Amino acid sequence: MIYVKNLNIKLGLFQIKNVELKIKKGEFLILLGPTAAGKSVIIEAIAGLVPIQSGKIIVNNHDITNLRPEHRNISICYQDYNLFPHMNVRNNICYGLRFKKDKDNPKYQKNFKDLVKLLKIGNILERMPLNLSGGEQQRVSLARGLIGNPDVLLLDEPLSALDPNIKTTIQEELKNIHQTLHTTIVMVTHDFIEANYLAERVAIIREGEIVQQGYPDEIFQKPSSVFAAQFIGVKNIFWIENPEELAFFGLANPAYIGIRPENIYISLKPIKADYLFQGKVGDIQNNQIYMEIQCCNTQRNYLSYLTINRFFELGLTKGMPVYFGFHKKNLIYIEEQISELEKGLKN
Amino acid sequence: MGKRFEFIYVLAAITGFLILLFNIYPILNTFYWTDWETIKMTLVDKKVMASIWTSVKCASITTIISFFLGIPLAYYLARHEFKLKNLIESLVDIPMVIPHTVAGICLLTVLSPRSPFGQFLRKNNIEALGTEVGIVVAMLFVSMPLLVDSARDAFKWVPVRMENVSRSLGATQIQTFLGVTFILSWRGILSGMIVTWARAISEFGAVIILAYHPMIAPTLIYERFSTYGMKYAVPANIILVIISIIIFIALRLVSLGGKEKHDLR
Repeated sequence: MIYVKNLNIKLGLFQIKNVELKIKKGEFLILLGPTAAGKSVIIEAIAGLVPIQSGKIIVNNHDITNLRPEHRNISICYQDYNLFPHMNVRNNICYGLRFKKDKDNPKYQKNFKDLVKLLKIGNILERMPLNLSGGEQQRVSLARGLIGNPDVLLLDEPLSALDPNIKTTIQEELKNIHQTLHTTIVMVTHDFIEANYLAERVAIIREGEIVQQGYPDEIFQKPSSVFAAQFIGVKNIFWIENPEELAFFGLANPAYIGIRPENIYISLKPIKADYLFQGKVGDIQNNQIYMEIQCCNTQRNYLSYLTINRFFELGLTKGMPVYFGFHKKNLIYIEEQISELEKGLKN
Repeated sequence: MGKRFEFIYVLAAITGFLILLFNIYPILNTFYWTDWETIKMTLVDKKVMASIWTSVKCASITTIISFFLGIPLAYYLARHEFKLKNLIESLVDIPMVIPHTVAGICLLTVLSPRSPFGQFLRKNNIEALGTEVGIVVAMLFVSMPLLVDSARDAFKWVPVRMENVSRSLGATQIQTFLGVTFILSWRGILSGMIVTWARAISEFGAVIILAYHPMIAPTLIYERFSTYGMKYAVPANIILVIISIIIFIALRLVSLGGKEKHDLR
């Protein structure tokens, strides 16, 4: 198990504050957050690559806080692959073995063969990195990180530099690697869809702090803050405080509620929904994959996503009267309370 | 579609031609001032050959010392940001803005037997003034900044993350430096060494202040020119030019070799 205890790091004006993480052996944890939230700094601290101010890093009951990176048995892969350009693929993969005391152990040869097969890189072993595609480079980088049986594999946005098709393939391969090798993986990403697909647990980071952590379902269904909700794709977030609305949504006290655009139905006739509104179609955007439609009633604007086929079936146009609604099971209650300042601004 | 007329390229062609002419013509023209027989006689002139050998030897020693002293500092400057970094970088480059005879005088104040350091050297039987030690010190002072700057820039091209990966795979800092960083920046460092060597072998002002004797080639050429005139200065001049160009080309070829194999840029 890895235990990151009360980690504090100061890098110029930026700070990592009181980060606590418990990662089970063999678990796939994703640190999810926007750019410059401090995700990469946290994993580099786990690897011993940035100095920490205070806190502890414990791996398998050993305190490794003061160990040099080379003694931690934690490998790191970055989004820009960082293959050694003066070595061919085979030597890149085996680079770490030359520093192992038991480098002649046959288990490493077996690892090499297994990884080459698992990552389908047998045909490029003699090639130089300069002649590889992005996807191939990332596969080699993963093999290089995994060959020495690390206690933890750290992945810093490994999919973000890849084109969408390759990204999906490598994403599947990552999942496959994790399921086959049971390596503990901590991955950093800003993409909640990646996190949802890969993670066994997710920690959301904002400005150097963990704002929420838990199982993906938990986080996706019950984000604890407006920030977390926005970050996992909840587009409709409203502060509910007037008594009529509180009663309508079954709330005892003023609170934030959220609803995903894909959970909002639109119809020309009344539909069966726990919460149903009558209103008009607002702005319509075609992003070529689905339609983004604003539905407006007298109180609020709701963003809804429709498939392009469904949109044409309904024949929606701006200003058209429609019914729209959603089910109670899709309503997201957000724990965060509005600050006095924001309350003042809203009023 | 035909090539468009671009004014800047025409300007570049004209100025480029002028620069090349300015660089090459004076060198080639020296051959016109002498004949093959005189050059052959100069080649067996022990004084001339000794001075050229002193120049080549001292410039090479300077380059090697610059390498060992300059590389660690260059690496540190490439990898760290700190408050006084600009100041330190400026201090490293200071010799490049001081006129070289002035630099020679500055060094003389330190190496003179009247200074504490000069006395320390004398006690340890090290004579700097009027020896090859003095020549190397003068060459080091004026040429080492070039190596530090080139090596620092070369190290900057190697991503820190590549070093991080190497460390995380079990390599120590030194193993990472030697196995990854140094190999990948070698070409840039070698270029820096060539420039350092070239700067050292061409040094004259600082050297004559510290060591008129043993003579380096520029001192000998200057002496022959001021005492006997062009006829006696040109042959030694030509030999030094040829040797310098041969060494320069050889080192350039080594530094350009394997450029495409793992170009980081």
